[in-house]
Amino acid sequence: MPMSSKQSSTRRDFLKTTGAAVAAPYVITSTALGNSQRPPASDRIVMGGIGIGNMGRGDQGAFLNRKDVQYVAVCDVRKEVREKAKATVDDRYHNKDCQAHNDFREVLGRADIDAVHIATPDHWHAIITVEACRNGKDVYCQKPETLTLREGPLMVGAARRYGRVVSGGSQRVLGDYRKYVDPVWAGELGTIKSINVNVNPLPKLCNLPPEPMAETIDWEMWLGPAPWAPYNSKRCSGSFSINGSSWRSFSDYSGGGMTDWGAHHFGGALFTCDVRDLQPEAVTFHENNGTPYLSYHYPNGLIVYHNKPKTENLAIEGTPGEKLTPKPVPMYKGEGGIYGDFIQCVKTRERPFRDIELAVNTAVVSHLGNIAYQLKRSLKWDAAKQEFPGDAEANRLVDRARREPWQI
Amino acid sequence: MLDEAFEALKKFDWGTDVAAVAPIDDAVAATHGQADARRDLEQRLVAALGGKLSRDAQDYVCRKLAIIGTAAAVPALASRLGAPHHSHMARFALERMPAPEAAQALRDALPKVTGDLKIGVLSSIGARRDKAAIAAVSGLLSDNDPSIATAAAHALGAIGGAKSAQALAAARPSKSSKPAVIDAQLACAESLLAEKNEAEAMKIYQSLAGDHQGRLVRLAATRGMLACASKQG
Repeated sequence: MPMSSKQSSTRRDFLKTTGAAVAAPYVITSTALGNSQRPPASDRIVMGGIGIGNMGRGDQGAFLNRKDVQYVAVCDVRKEVREKAKATVDDRYHNKDCQAHNDFREVLGRADIDAVHIATPDHWHAIITVEACRNGKDVYCQKPETLTLREGPLMVGAARRYGRVVSGGSQRVLGDYRKYVDPVWAGELGTIKSINVNVNPLPKLCNLPPEPMAETIDWEMWLGPAPWAPYNSKRCSGSFSINGSSWRSFSDYSGGGMTDWGAHHFGGALFTCDVRDLQPEAVTFHENNGTPYLSYHYPNGLIVYHNKPKTENLAIEGTPGEKLTPKPVPMYKGEGGIYGDFIQCVKTRERPFRDIELAVNTAVVSHLGNIAYQLKRSLKWDAAKQEFPGDAEANRLVDRARREPWQI
Repeated sequence: MLDEAFEALKKFDWGTDVAAVAPIDDAVAATHGQADARRDLEQRLVAALGGKLSRDAQDYVCRKLAIIGTAAAVPALASRLGAPHHSHMARFALERMPAPEAAQALRDALPKVTGDLKIGVLSSIGARRDKAAIAAVSGLLSDNDPSIATAAAHALGAIGGAKSAQALAAARPSKSSKPAVIDAQLACAESLLAEKNEAEAMKIYQSLAGDHQGRLVRLAATRGMLACASKQG
């Protein structure tokens, strides 16, 4: 399918559209006026959502229900999804003000928007997040935040360059693992020697057959930077399946269960062991009766296992008889879980609980694992240089070329 | 098994069983550190690329060459950079290939390709941080197509360093590509700071800190100046 002329046209159309949007006056509606139940518009965070299917719908609901948020834009490449999302917003505010967009660049070009939440497939996360920062937006980006290792530093760099608040996703890191976190941070288990994470499966190549287009979807935009492929409803399904029935299963769009659930489980493990600010320095590839598993080696001596045989998820090996000085467990700021944490930080300019740098450190674990399994061997990792030292082959897998015209 | 997989590759297309070509995946991993076996595998892949394969099968070959391809694979890949259906996957193989011939192929393609394909090549040159391409990329900062000028700016920002910064400072961007030029200048300043060249980084930040810039850029520049000062201090 020829794309060049079509995509150039889209880009030019966008430039015209954006110019028009910027030139248009911002009309203050009646909803902009505050009352005893709600702060005035000037004190609200004006938000838009990009990628509103499935997880994005949940994120939209969480932000839309906040009194300190004014939700003004929805963006999705599926017509039905964005129209439904717009209707949700309009019903909430009893007006027709929410604008629906097909192209995220239109949302990012709007001067009235302070922050966006992103819940597209993973292959779009980095491009949209970086572009949002360039446009001065704060970002709540769903997990897994990255598709490749190189995307992480680019996202962190854009956030820091423009002083943006960028939060990763995973409400589970703080919400689901307290029974592990609390005793470790209380020092009750002594020095932690190892922790195990069980998560599957690895991503695979999607080779599904072409199907007739069964929905109104901008297919070129859905694919975006990913290799061109024909439409198939399972290829682009946003369901939470990681076993071949959604994009989460496939390597062009996701790191598979290794990143999708890995964001939660590895995130919880790293939080439990207080190494959220570190990246591993080596990954060892093991085989047990033909079944592979990994051990990640951290600079402080911690070992994080992946799928260690006969070991439960989040099984912790401490130091018997040793007690450490308790440390306060980091918590969300503000009210309303991870969403409230993000909004509070937008207001105060603090770094959120899942600051993008910490979220990226979790994603790195998943990506290193996927590469080790793909190459079926051990790897060394230089976190400062973001490369596999002396390993030209592995370094080829740090990133991948994006389909034109997309770049970061 | 490998012979059968290459035979299966001839019929490989969207909808066929991926397992049929899995022995090629296995061979990529199994030949690590075995130069002769790798060379043989690469030759078979390159030869397959020259045969009658579906687009999906050609893409599959490019995915494998992205991991094991050497200078020997570059001519076959370079010849695809101007083809709208194949340019991306050729870059998929070339972008991360350590061989200098891969960088040269992208540089050679830059003046020949147009539109979105040129943007793609610029993106790959930037990702490779190819300093030898700075002059050619700089020439595109004033391209009539704002998308290409924007892509050129981002490529220079990714390459970083003093020469990229100089080219960006000298640019006279259009209104639509100006934000990308400024973003790239900030990226260059960060790369200079990382190289401990605080003086050059500071010059860039100072040039962007004036009232003629928007608030976002002024804040970024001020933040950069503080970073320079703390490193110098």
